[in-house]
Amino acid sequence: MTKEVLVVGGGPAGLAASHALSSAGIPVTLVEKTDILGGAPIHSGYAKLVPSGEWAKDAIGGMVKRVEDDPGIKTIKNATVASFDGSPGDFTAKLSNGQEVKAAATILCTGFTHFDSINKPEWGFGLFPDVVTTSQVEQMISSGKGVRRPSNGEKPKRVAILLCVGSRDRQIGREWCSKVCCTVSANMAMEIREELPDCHVYIYYMDIRTFGLYEEFYWNSQEEHKVKYIKARIAEVTSDGDKVIVKGEDTLVKRPITIPFDMVVHAIGMDPNVDNFVLSKTFDVDLHHWGFLKRQNAYGVAGATSRPGVFVAGAAIGPETIDDSIAQGQSAAMSVVGMLHAGATQTAAE
Amino acid sequence: MPIHEKSLIRPENLSTHDNLTIDGVDVSGDWSTFIKARVVQDYNEDLQDEIAALPGGENIHRCWQCGSCTNACTVNALNPDFNPRLWIYLIRMGFEAELVRDKDIIWQCVSCNKCTSACPRDVVPEGVMKATAHWLELKGYTPKTPSTEFDEIFSNQVIHTGKIEDGAVLLGFFRRTGQSPFQDWVIQMGKQLAMGLPIRMLMRMGLATLFHPRTRGWDRARAAIEEYVEEQEAAHRKALGLGGSSHDPHAPRQAQPIPQAAE
Ligand SMILES: Cc1cc2nc3c(=O)[nH]c(=O)nc-3n(C[C@H](O)[C@H](O)[C@H](O)COP(=O)(O)OP(=O)(O)OC[C@H]3O[C@@H](n4cnc5c(N)ncnc54)[C@H](O)[C@@H]3O)c2cc1C
Ligand code: SF4
Ligand code: SF4
Ligand code: SF4
Repeated sequence: MTKEVLVVGGGPAGLAASHALSSAGIPVTLVEKTDILGGAPIHSGYAKLVPSGEWAKDAIGGMVKRVEDDPGIKTIKNATVASFDGSPGDFTAKLSNGQEVKAAATILCTGFTHFDSINKPEWGFGLFPDVVTTSQVEQMISSGKGVRRPSNGEKPKRVAILLCVGSRDRQIGREWCSKVCCTVSANMAMEIREELPDCHVYIYYMDIRTFGLYEEFYWNSQEEHKVKYIKARIAEVTSDGDKVIVKGEDTLVKRPITIPFDMVVHAIGMDPNVDNFVLSKTFDVDLHHWGFLKRQNAYGVAGATSRPGVFVAGAAIGPETIDDSIAQGQSAAMSVVGMLHAGATQTAAE
Repeated sequence: MPIHEKSLIRPENLSTHDNLTIDGVDVSGDWSTFIKARVVQDYNEDLQDEIAALPGGENIHRCWQCGSCTNACTVNALNPDFNPRLWIYLIRMGFEAELVRDKDIIWQCVSCNKCTSACPRDVVPEGVMKATAHWLELKGYTPKTPSTEFDEIFSNQVIHTGKIEDGAVLLGFFRRTGQSPFQDWVIQMGKQLAMGLPIRMLMRMGLATLFHPRTRGWDRARAAIEEYVEEQEAAHRKALGLGGSSHDPHAPRQAQPIPQAAE
């Protein structure tokens, strides 16, 4: 029986799983599709993370370094898994680059795909340069350039953040809540107010889901940073050639709104990874009916899928925070350790 | 006293005295403005089910009050009081009296379905508007709207003869809505038709108006359709707790007293 474990995907979940396994003395092969480890926070250049307030490049960068410096972890970048055969304790993965990896088990940490706002044309993304996504604003902040109107490079005086873009919407077949975007938006609103104290920030919401301790972001943004929350789902975003015009109904006071903004930010959601159909076929694992990789059961073996020996962790399962993705990576690693241990005792007994 | 969001207060709930002195202090005009408390005394807990039982209203329970329908709405753009999101709320909570207050604007929906394509939960607000207008009629809060009259004449004729004869529909519509058949535009249209259409066609049209030809072998189809329509209408009336049948379009309907909203 091989002792090596294959981890697919080098985001927060995959980095955590790889490190945990290696700490337990299990050799790991980490296969990452791109040429950079770190997942969405690094690829998309997130700024300060919630809830820690640490810069993504430091926090996740640290996790990347820990894995890269670990002699027990072999990282293969620019590769995906083309085929995966065998049984628990004895799998063979063929990679897209022709390499072959033997593994006793595998953990899929393949994450999510950002919602593409083009699919919600009424909100102006792709039509007006000053309509951007939360990812883009994260990059404006993390690059040090600051929040500026893409059309003319000026500092915005009024910014609207629209929540639930690409989430909770039957019209576009995305019924889930993306879980982090409320808190990320509240945090972003505060960052904008800190950088540009004269800029008014409005958040248009249907519900505010700053769950658990994240409620603090909601409160602070309102109380300390005077961010304005308006209960409305926007009908359309148009433009007069300069400003972007947001049209909606302030539902609490039953008033129509037509307000010019300098910038409109889409709080984009987390889609299932576009690779999930391929992954589901390659690894022979079931998908959740919304297209995420399906976790078998929450109360038994952590991270189990429909196929023994194949585990899953992080945003591959559904919209997830970094903290929880890390925790899931570690608990899936623990499931693998348990499986290998049981296999070893069995072999010893034979 | 400035009142924020005066739009949320019904004018009858505002009280202001032009001349009022209390303990020697002059509080005339705005200084004496009071807003009477609005008290909810009762919910009609069946209201949502009643609307859901009518065609179009089936998905009303899905609404989460985001307002996409209202701000996409064609009519709302002209009249801010036309607010499908609010009415859905009133129906779901059972504020029947509040809903009925807007009975004279609810039916103005033009069925453009802009709301339907905006709604993130697929409530089909246009259908709810249709069901609500239907509900107001069935309950006797509003007379049949001209468009309901038109639909009835149209479908009665199709059900009866298996054909549609425009002249008869138009005449029937004018009769029922108390309009003269000799309106300028009708005369004008008649003249144009007479000039533009071949004689044979005009003769066939004239004969059809007089003799109401039927589709051959229509009787069985008619019986089946009538049975279905009756079944549906009986089901709707039952869901609304109403007895009898409204199938005869000329049957007098019980006038319903408008419930009083709590002030
Ligand atoms: C705008 C925005 C801001 C956010 N900010 C925060 C925040 O401040 N705090 C927070 O807790 N969370 C935040 N999140 C959520 C956070 O991004 C996720 O929780 C986290 O990225 C999930 O980690 P993961 O490892 O499961 O997946 P990912 O980060 O998506 O990583 C998946 C990795 O797998 C690789 N991969 C994908 N497919 C394959 C394949 N077929 N083969 C091999 N490799 C593959 C990818 O290249 C990637 O490296 C934010 C999300 C968004 C959209
Ligand atoms: S976290 Fe907030 S913004 Fe994101 S989908 Fe859920 S409710 Fe909408
Ligand atoms: S269908 Fe009716 S309620 Fe819906 S947008 Fe059109 S007018 Fe408004
Ligand atoms: S758009 Fe749909 S969910 Fe939103 S308020 Fe209207 S009916 Fe309700």
